[in-house]
Amino acid sequence: MTLFTLDQAAREARLLPELVELTEHHRARSPEYARLLAALGHPPGRRYDRLADLPWLPVRLFKHHVLKSIPDDEVFKVLTSSGTTGDVSRIFLDREAAGLQQKMLSATLGAVTGPKRLPMLLVDTRALFKNRASFSARGAGVLGLMNFGRDHTFVLDEQERPDPEAVRAFLDRHGDRPFLIFGFTFMTWLYLYELAREHSFDLSNGILIHSGGWKKLVDRAVDNAEFRRRLTADTGLRRIHNFYGMVEQIGTTFLEGPDGGGLYCPDFADVIVRDPRTWAEVPAGTPGVVQVVSTMPRSYPGHLLLTEDRGVVRGVDDGAWPGKRFEILGRLPRAEARGCSDTFAEAA
Amino acid sequence: MSGKVIERFPAGGAIAVDDLVAALGAAPAGGPLTVGDERVVEFLVAFARRLLRPAVARRHPELASLGFFLRRGEIGRALARVADEPGQLRFPRGLVFHVPPANVDTIFVYSWALSALAGNANVVRISSRSAGAADAVLDALGDTLTDAHEAVRQTQRMVTYGRDDAVTAALSAAADLRVVWGGDRSVTEIRRHPLAPHARDLTFPDRSSFTVIGAAGWLAADERDRDAAALGLYNDSYWFDQAACASPRAVYWVGDPAATEAARADLLARLRAVLDGKRPEIDAAMAVEKRVATYGLAVEGAATAVHFDGNDLATVELAGPGDIPRRWLGVGTFPQARVDTLADLAPVVVRRDQTVTHFGFTADELVAFARALGGRGVDRIVPVGDALNFAATWDGYDLMREFTRITSVVAR
Repeated sequence: MTLFTLDQAAREARLLPELVELTEHHRARSPEYARLLAALGHPPGRRYDRLADLPWLPVRLFKHHVLKSIPDDEVFKVLTSSGTTGDVSRIFLDREAAGLQQKMLSATLGAVTGPKRLPMLLVDTRALFKNRASFSARGAGVLGLMNFGRDHTFVLDEQERPDPEAVRAFLDRHGDRPFLIFGFTFMTWLYLYELAREHSFDLSNGILIHSGGWKKLVDRAVDNAEFRRRLTADTGLRRIHNFYGMVEQIGTTFLEGPDGGGLYCPDFADVIVRDPRTWAEVPAGTPGVVQVVSTMPRSYPGHLLLTEDRGVVRGVDDGAWPGKRFEILGRLPRAEARGCSDTFAEAA
Repeated sequence: MSGKVIERFPAGGAIAVDDLVAALGAAPAGGPLTVGDERVVEFLVAFARRLLRPAVARRHPELASLGFFLRRGEIGRALARVADEPGQLRFPRGLVFHVPPANVDTIFVYSWALSALAGNANVVRISSRSAGAADAVLDALGDTLTDAHEAVRQTQRMVTYGRDDAVTAALSAAADLRVVWGGDRSVTEIRRHPLAPHARDLTFPDRSSFTVIGAAGWLAADERDRDAAALGLYNDSYWFDQAACASPRAVYWVGDPAATEAARADLLARLRAVLDGKRPEIDAAMAVEKRVATYGLAVEGAATAVHFDGNDLATVELAGPGDIPRRWLGVGTFPQARVDTLADLAPVVVRRDQTVTHFGFTADELVAFARALGGRGVDRIVPVGDALNFAATWDGYDLMREFTRITSVVAR
């Protein structure tokens, strides 16, 4: 069972009416969103022929404004993003949305982890959870992913130093059958890769899922291809899946396919890359600004969001999985930083 | 232990702040500076000539404005404001410590130049992030120094230092006047450091500005004046990314709805033509910034319509004249509202409002508007196109008077 099944035509045919309905749903329940649609010239009942015609919101709007489509007394959880500027997005979930986002995250990652909980190696430190006051977005990210594994082992000790004995013990117990590895991209490279190479650890049964962007690795000349090549060459790890997502579209995860040929959209989501001069959709191969599309958000109007990431669609219906496959190229210059890999050891 | 600063003008190395203060306290060659001292005037005029050289002016048009401001005739006019009067003699205040904004802005050069003209010794803190125009200013100052009187080198200093409270404290304690530019936060931050009991602050905190256009006056104006006003609005707004204190952040139309509608369409068409000629660079990050800001106005209910004519021109219909957004919305963003008369704007104005640029009003109408405001806000009312022209009266202060002190002599 996988959530990566729809080709582009089938996907758009399914998503368009659902997104139009969602737009009306949010218009009816959020006066703020209704005012915005009116100001932008999107009256109720307007006809849309393409996903790209629907009105999108810049994701940073959620940092400055409360936008929600549920009454105050139904707010079950308020999620906040990480950010370097002090501004954080606030995303409001009711009980149903909170349950659904976990379920969809699980179903999406299930495409690569399989149905069973696997032993799990976390490229992080348990100290993340010790101090509740400083509980960061990184901590929340790790905690959210921990649900997918069992027998959790941390690669770093509580002083944030690599712990080769812990990793060795984990591999002695679980290394001969599939196991899960989760880490932020730069930490996976700086700590797990270096450690595994140094100690000749065999990670060939591992399934790595990682996220967080390449910015901190650029000066080491490590891009996605190099990351995959060297992990495979030096540790035996082959099943490597980068993923992309944001708290403002929680539960929607764009996942790298088994071939490393790009990020793919789950069936309830899509991406549109736009020309930052005209904001029109650009064809595959042309870089632009990434808009993320998802039918998940029902408790807040986050179904059509313009991110502050640059990206490019590499191909449509031509990869390991159907639909668009795309790549994130980096953040818009001067736009505020986003991401959940916060202040850990910048100088490491 | 006290901190060190790096000397940028006159260019030098690191120097202990205590040594800098001591050097500024010593009598300069040729005797103490006076108000309008020839040694300083000569230096400023030579400096202005360098700024007006085509090579400099082409790269940094804002420096050409500075050059014009420092011509001998202009200097004479500034000095006339502080000429001695019977029984009243003007003298320099002493040592003036200038804290300009950290971003690249050349406005600090104006306040330094006027303070020097008033005969003060000056220390200007230059941001270590300075670049572009600010560096060109330092280069021109350094070049001018070669032929300048030794007293200029001794009394006029520009320095860079990092976040070092010891330096700020030492310079504050030594100053007779402290001039702080660059926003509410820096003003509050700097004020933690005490001045000598007799000294005081001259502060230039966050401000915002707007434009008023008389619809009937617009429609009655000839083509050339309307084109000039569209170009003026462009210069006021697109220089400094519409982020200067004096850059207009909103346009108010004064008149009946039909005339306003016609005048507005005409102005926007002319502004569009200016933009198509100038083609200002609006990068993707700025374009997103504008969306975030304008969509936010709609979310808040302050805007009823948001329209983008490309990334370089955004117009916003305000729900009412009181909904003027004083925060920065990104370059080329024009919130607009209509009122029947100028007087209707008086209740909207607050202390923070600095410059009102105008088109289509008579002098009497503008004076009546200023009287209606009664000094509660708005320090300058100037024609569209002049928003960024610095004047010796700024933020309500007559700067030459602020930079001098009076000794009164009564012979009986």
